[in-house]
Formats: sequence, structure tokens, C-alpha cells
Amino acid sequence: MTGRKGHRLILGATIACIVLFSVAPFAWFALLALKSHLEITAVPPAIFPRHISLEAISAAVFKYGLLRFLKNSVLVAGITTAVCVAVGTLAAYPLARLPIKFKRTILLLILAAGMFPQISIAGPVWRILRALDWLNTYQGLILPYLALTLPITVWILSNFFGELPGELEEAAKIDGASLFQILCKIIVPLAVPGVFTAGILTFIYCWNEFFFALLIMTRSDFQTLPVGIALFPGEYTMPWGEIAAASIVTTMPLILLAVFFQKRIISGLTAGAVRG
Amino acid sequence: MITRLPRLTSKLKRSLLTLLLLLAANSSIADEINFVMWKPDHPEVWDRILSDFERQTGVKVRVEIGPNSSTAAHALVSQKLKNADPDLDVFMMDVIWPSEFVSANWIESLYLFFPPQDQADFFPAAISACTIEGKIYGVPFETSGGLLFYRKDLLDKYGFGPPATWDQLVEEAEYIVSREQSHNPALRGYCGQFKQYEGLVCNMQEFLLGNRGKLFDDVERKSTIGFPANLHAVRYVRDKIIGKVASRGVLTYEEPESLHVFIQGHAVFLRDWPYAWEIANNPRESSIAGKVDIAVIPHFTAGDSASTLGGWQFALSTFSRKKTLAWQFIRYMTSPSVQKTFALETSQRPSRRSVYNDPEVLSGNPHFAQLREAFEKARPRPAIPLYPLYSSIQQRFYQAAIVYPDSSLEALAAEADREIDRLLKLMSEGKP
Amino acid sequence: MRTPYYGADRVIGYLFFLPLLIVLLIFSFIPIAYSFFLSLYQIVLGLPRLGENFVGLANYEKLLEDPAALNSLEVTIIFVCFSTVLEVCVGLLMAVAINESFRGRGMVRAAILIPWALPTVVASQLWRFAFNDQYGIVNYVCFGPDIAHYKAWLADPFSALIAIMLADVWKTSSFAGLIILAGLQTIPDELYEAARVDGANAFQRFLFITLPLLKPSILLALIFRTMDAFRVFDLVFVMTQGGPADATNVLQFYGYKKLFDEGMVGIGSAVSVMVFILVLSVSIFYLNLVGTTLLKKKETLL
Repeated sequence: MTGRKGHRLILGATIACIVLFSVAPFAWFALLALKSHLEITAVPPAIFPRHISLEAISAAVFKYGLLRFLKNSVLVAGITTAVCVAVGTLAAYPLARLPIKFKRTILLLILAAGMFPQISIAGPVWRILRALDWLNTYQGLILPYLALTLPITVWILSNFFGELPGELEEAAKIDGASLFQILCKIIVPLAVPGVFTAGILTFIYCWNEFFFALLIMTRSDFQTLPVGIALFPGEYTMPWGEIAAASIVTTMPLILLAVFFQKRIISGLTAGAVRG
Repeated sequence: MITRLPRLTSKLKRSLLTLLLLLAANSSIADEINFVMWKPDHPEVWDRILSDFERQTGVKVRVEIGPNSSTAAHALVSQKLKNADPDLDVFMMDVIWPSEFVSANWIESLYLFFPPQDQADFFPAAISACTIEGKIYGVPFETSGGLLFYRKDLLDKYGFGPPATWDQLVEEAEYIVSREQSHNPALRGYCGQFKQYEGLVCNMQEFLLGNRGKLFDDVERKSTIGFPANLHAVRYVRDKIIGKVASRGVLTYEEPESLHVFIQGHAVFLRDWPYAWEIANNPRESSIAGKVDIAVIPHFTAGDSASTLGGWQFALSTFSRKKTLAWQFIRYMTSPSVQKTFALETSQRPSRRSVYNDPEVLSGNPHFAQLREAFEKARPRPAIPLYPLYSSIQQRFYQAAIVYPDSSLEALAAEADREIDRLLKLMSEGKP
Repeated sequence: MRTPYYGADRVIGYLFFLPLLIVLLIFSFIPIAYSFFLSLYQIVLGLPRLGENFVGLANYEKLLEDPAALNSLEVTIIFVCFSTVLEVCVGLLMAVAINESFRGRGMVRAAILIPWALPTVVASQLWRFAFNDQYGIVNYVCFGPDIAHYKAWLADPFSALIAIMLADVWKTSSFAGLIILAGLQTIPDELYEAARVDGANAFQRFLFITLPLLKPSILLALIFRTMDAFRVFDLVFVMTQGGPADATNVLQFYGYKKLFDEGMVGIGSAVSVMVFILVLSVSIFYLNLVGTTLLKKKETLL
């Protein structure tokens, strides 16, 4: 009969498999950045590089303009996150704490907007942006990203706001505060974890988004990391080492976010899920 | 009544002077043209040539570097043209775009600037690709075509010469592979690009046209994929090439993957574009440097070598406001001296036939002799305005035919022909 | 929540909505309506002289007759069914494992988030490289240095679809796992204690207590994964471009090619509308299964 020890053994083995399954493929791919071109396509493949070569990394930075893509990603993701959290907070507050008619319908509609397939809205969004002459501009990417990230942000924030005690407004009202002041000075400071979580999820989404970035930014000086990497390949060449190097740069910030904020990310992702 | 002329007050004098200065400034701004191209391998050479042009003519060329892949470049350029962007004067046009761009009225006809006697020095296939309904719409700049790369050391070892027909290639490949198996188990006979993308169309066309096949009946404006010579070629690829002398992996290869196989020393023959020559002979990139030679694409006994034409041409946007200046630039860049400079100092392959015969060029690039032979025999892809859609239908047909060993080629071809005819009907509906 | 809500406040409250409404209206709702609208026209970008003609539902008819479109639908449904089931199973395994307390649990949780945090484009390149028939790691793991047996995974229609599913499972199982984890954490320990006292072993406890109580979370994970699976695009774009022989030509890729590659805006819009309707129907179906529970909980919060 499997006692505590047997139980721990099975658990340990399972955990090891899960971690290996999750991390190994990426670790192997990341090592490509340190291999020379011939080693990358050698048959059969070797996992560790025989001679460490830094030419892929330097090529990615100097020849392919990796830093430019990094700058664009930071700008777009950063601005979108800031605006998304602001607009989302504003909208989530009445939904969570004020007696609005048709609350449920509105929330479901907002959530539905987050589920639209990219293909269904990409074409028209492109036409709208072209009419505004906002293709290949930062706002041209930030605005669609807002539309894509606001639903989940509002969902998370309305949950957090909703859980705060109801008497908060009463006390403030007696002191003569306006709705806006109540929001900024009382509610938001108390819901910082929720705001933080929504911010992280929004940032990750914008950082990784590919479809819209590919369509809207056709000029390389505006492209974000995912699009930049996707277009590394030359007319007939596939620079695997450089792609791997760029992938590491793209993923490192997110891995750091995941390592330091895994609790928040998890609680944010499960917001709205079944809760006790 | 006599209209009195205004007296030239000092204020008026000043405004006139400002106006003159503005006019002068504007005319120098007017001597600037915008040019979209891909990232060059030797930017120093380009910089020098462009500043030479500016010195000689006073016209400054503003270069916008677009993406490397043809599809992405197409997206960038067509977006500007769709918007009737006046800031685009000249751009690099891929060999499969002219029909689409002409149909959309995006590029200017060059028949006034570029008469037939000037066209004669360029490869006929490239000129044909730029000629839509009898008028010329582009000037070829760089030529490319499918080539057969082979391991000279292996062929010499077994006393073979480069194969002229596909049967010869299969025979030589099988012989060499069986003898080399013991110390090179990963060696395959043949490698090419058969993934479901544009490269598949290029590879397959070489087989079809090399058997005197015909994709398109120009007279009746009908698709003829079901032509028996075509199907024979497709059957040959399915039964004798894929999975036999070439591994099934070629169904997943684009150019990079197939070249990697060759430069790792794992293929006897490789079908690829001329760019592969530099990489295959570069000791830092290739393990077979110095052991490579090139030949024209093989054909079937009934036919002749039919390398698929690639390459880039200069095109002039209809919306440009500086067409004369733009033409000056195009003429300069395609002049014999500039073409020769590019041939000597970069890896670009010129579009003028005379440059290939120049002794100085040949001594630096002896393989240009074989390149010229291949390019003279090159065949462009069918010029259909909705080319991406036409290509999709072809890709679908070829893949369905060669992936499934017992596919009915006649049925698949009939369906592809039907779809293409429907496409042609759609295009002719709007014809005046 | 009894909040004093007077006249001016009411207006301000509605005003707070305004930015959200404007953004969602312009960049979500209007585009969807516009797609519906465009799908009723014949628009070919490469032939501007044809103009834009109203054709009613003709585009939808063409889709239903087009074997490539029907193939896309079939491929997408197969992909959705198998990958979501696999993801939920793997996710369930992950959730059960990381629900236990052990040293380094935080790092393990971070580790399983790595595939999810990776941009899909990077993950797609990774797996495209991994499945290469010559230098890919999958062949090495399966066959070692035995080159003769290396398989061209992406060249065979059957294994190509499996490869894409595997890549998707790798990338998103942790997401499903986290949703299930939330559900796991709500199961009170007393239930397990009582069962242990009654003599039930670990397996029986899992089967008769954990699984039934996890039903809502599992269904929620299924909803999210299904809706995402219908929209798969990056993996196909990078790994196979829809091949071999359209074996991995999923709906969003098919629609992308029609809209942006071939310029057939009318038909492409019809495809996108069909994807939208499919995703909507599936969500409504699932929500009916789970919805009442979800919304009841929402009410106590609202």
C-alpha cells in the first residue's frame, strides 16, 4: 500500500515531468543563440553548443535592429497598460458599486467583445485606421490593443471593487467627497492588488500580440518584437540563432514577471472563476 | 483704362525676395525622389552609387528599406499604392507583381522611355514578365532563376557529369547515395522546396515546362493544368522524386531548410536560387565550401531546361509627381556601367546580358557563364492579375497531388482548372 | 451595497463608462458589424475596376460549396476537440500536482507559466525548428542518433496536425491548469478527512470527491480553451502555412489568406463572420451549462 513515502515519490516524479515538459523545449531553443550557424543545423542535433559563439546575439542586435523592436514593444505595451488600467478602473467602478441598470448584460457584452476572433475585426479595424491615416503609428496599435484588453481588465477590476465593503462610500459622502474623489482616494488604493494584476496581464498580452501588430505596422521602425522576429528571415534565409537570441530578449521580461508575480497572475487569471 | 503698376515699395521688394527664395528652395526639394527597396547586402556600394547619381544629376534619392520577404514587401508597397501615396516614386518590383499592379493602375507604363531596341540587352524572360498587353512596365535590375547545384567532388569521384535530364539525375543520385551510405548515412540524392507556398509553384513549373507542358492557353484564355504533359511531370515528381531520391522532408522545406541539408553535406543535388552559391562556398557557413558547382535545371527528354524566373525590376508609381526624375534614376541604375559595378563588387546578378560576357566580370565570377545560360532559358510564371489567388490554387493542387501517393491527378487537375477558369471569368467581367 | 447615489452622481457614474464605450464601440463592435456588412459584397482588392457589388448571401453560398472552406472547418473542429480535451487533462494533472504543498512550489508554478508567457510567434518558431526532419530535437528525443528513422513530422498530413496540437497543448495547458487550481482550492479539507476516515484511498477520494466538485472549473477551462482554439493562427502561420495539402488549414488561417493575401475581402469577411458565429454559439452552449452557477455567484458580488 502506498504510504506517505510512496505518495511523495509519485508527486515528485510528476512534478519533475511537468517542469521538464514546460521548461526543456524553451531552454533548448534558447541555447541556439549560442551556437554557430553550422552547429545549429547539424545532424544529428546536439543540445549543448560545442563552442560558444556570440555572433548570433551581436547580429540580432546590430544587424537586425533588435533594440528598436524592444523599444517599440516597451512603448506600446507600457502605454496601453497605463491607459487600459485607467479607463478600466473608471468603467469598472460604476459596474461594481453603483446601482446601474442592466449590469449583468453590460458585463456580458463587455466580456463578449473580448472574445471576438481577431480575423473578424482585423479587416475593418485596418480600414478604420487607414481612413484616420493611423497605420504605422503608435496610436494605431494602442487603440485596438485597448479594445482587446479592456474586457478582461474590467472583469478583474469589477470583481476586486465588488469585494470591498459597501460602507466606504457612505462615510466619504458624509464628508462631502465627489464620486471621482472617492474612486481615486479610497477605492483604488484598496484595490491595488487587482489593479496590479490587471496591469500585468494587459502588459503580457500586448507584449506578445502578433496578428494586429503584423497588419498595422508594416514599416520596420514601428514594429514590435513579435513582428520583428517573425520578419527576421531574409528572402531565402532563416537565421535561427538570431531568432533564438531575439526570442530570449522578448521572453526574459515576461519570465521575470512570471517568477516574481506568479501569485498575482494566477489570482488574476482565475478571477471570475468559481470561488469559495 | 491704363492699370497703374504698383510701386515697388521696400516691403514689396522684401516679399518678392522671400517668394524667390521659397521657389528656389522648393525646386531643390523637388529634386528628391523616394525609393523603396530591400536591405542590401553591401550598403557601402549602394551609398556610393547613389551619391554618384546625386553628383551627376543633382537629384537626391531617399531610400526606404522595406522588409526582406517578398510577401511582406508586397504588403508594404501595395498599401502605399492603395492609398495613392505621392511619396512613393520608384520601388523594387518582384517578378510576379506586374500583372496585378497594372490591373490596379498602380504602375506607369514605360513604353515612351524604354523602347524595344533598348530592351534587347535584357533577358527575354524578364522583359516578358514586365510586359503586360504589349506594353513594358518595368526595367529588370536583378535576375534570378532556378539552378541545379551539385557536389562536384562526388560526381567526379564516380565519373559523372552534371545531368541533363531528370532520369539521368535520378540514376546518378541513386548510384552515389548507395555507394556513400556507409560513411554518410544521412546523404540524400536530391533536395528542393515542396512546402505549400510560392516556392512549390517555382519548383513544379520547372518540371512541367521541362516536359513541354503548358499551364495556360493564352489564345483561349483557359487554364490547362490538366494537359497530359503536365500530369506526366507531376506523376514523375510524386513517384520518382518525393520519398525516393528526395526525402519526404522536402514537403516541409522552404529555401533555408533545403540549403541547410546541402551545406551540411547531406545532399548530392540541390535545386535553389543563385543566392545559394555564396553561402555554399563560404567556409564559415558551409561544410562543403569549394566542392560545389552549378548547372542548368534538368528537363525531360521531350523538352528543354525551363528554370523559373525570379528577380527584381524597377517600377514607377502612377502617383509619383516626379516621373521624369524617377526615370533618370531608373535609367542610371540599369545602365551597363552601374550594372557592371554591382556585378564586380556585390553578389547581385545583373539583368543585362552584355555584362555577363564582360571579361572582367567573368574573371571574378566564372560561374556567371552558367548563370547566363540558365537565365537565357528562364521562363516566367503566368501573368495573372490575381496572382496570389492563382498561386494558392496551384499550390493546393500540387500538394494534394504529391503528398498522397494514390491521388487521382486528372481529377485534381480538373478541379484546379475549374477554379482558375472561374477566377479568369471574374477578372474578365469588369473588362470594358 | 447601499450607496447613496444622487442626481449628479448618477450622471458622473454613466460618464465613467464613456471612454470604455467609445473604444469598444469603434474598435470592437463596429468592426464586427462592418465585417457582417462587407461579407454581403463582392470586393476584390486586386481588381478595383470591378467595384464593390452587393451580392447578398452569395459569398456564404460559395463558402459552403468550396471544398477548401469545408476542409478548414473540419480541420478546425478536429483541432479544437482534441487539443482542448488534452489541454484540460494535462492542466488537471498540473493543478493536482501543484496544489500539494512542497518546497519550491512557487518556482514550479513560475516554471509552468513559462510556455504561457512566451509570445506565440516565438513558441511557433521553436516548434517549427523542433519538428524539422533533420536537425529537430523531437527526432533526436525519439530516435537518438539513428538518422535513418528520423521522421518528417510536418510533411505527413496526419502527423502535421498532431504536431500543431502538441505545440498548442505545450503552450496553453498551464492556463487550463490554473483555472482548475482555483477550483481545487475551494474544496474544503473536511470532505477529504471524512472520506479518509471512511477508508477511501487516494484514488477513490480523487474520483468521488475531487472530480465532481471540480466540474464547474473544468467546464470553465473548457470554455476558455475552446474559444481560444477556434482562433488558432500563429502556430499554423509559422509552422506549416496551412499545409501539407491543406491538412492544417484552420479557419482563421484560411480567412487570413483570403482577406490579406488574395484580397478577396467579401469572402474573407464571410469566413470571419462564420468564425465569430461559431465561437459565439459554443460560448452560449457552454454558458448555459455553467452559466447559472457563474452568474449566481456574480449576483452576490454585485
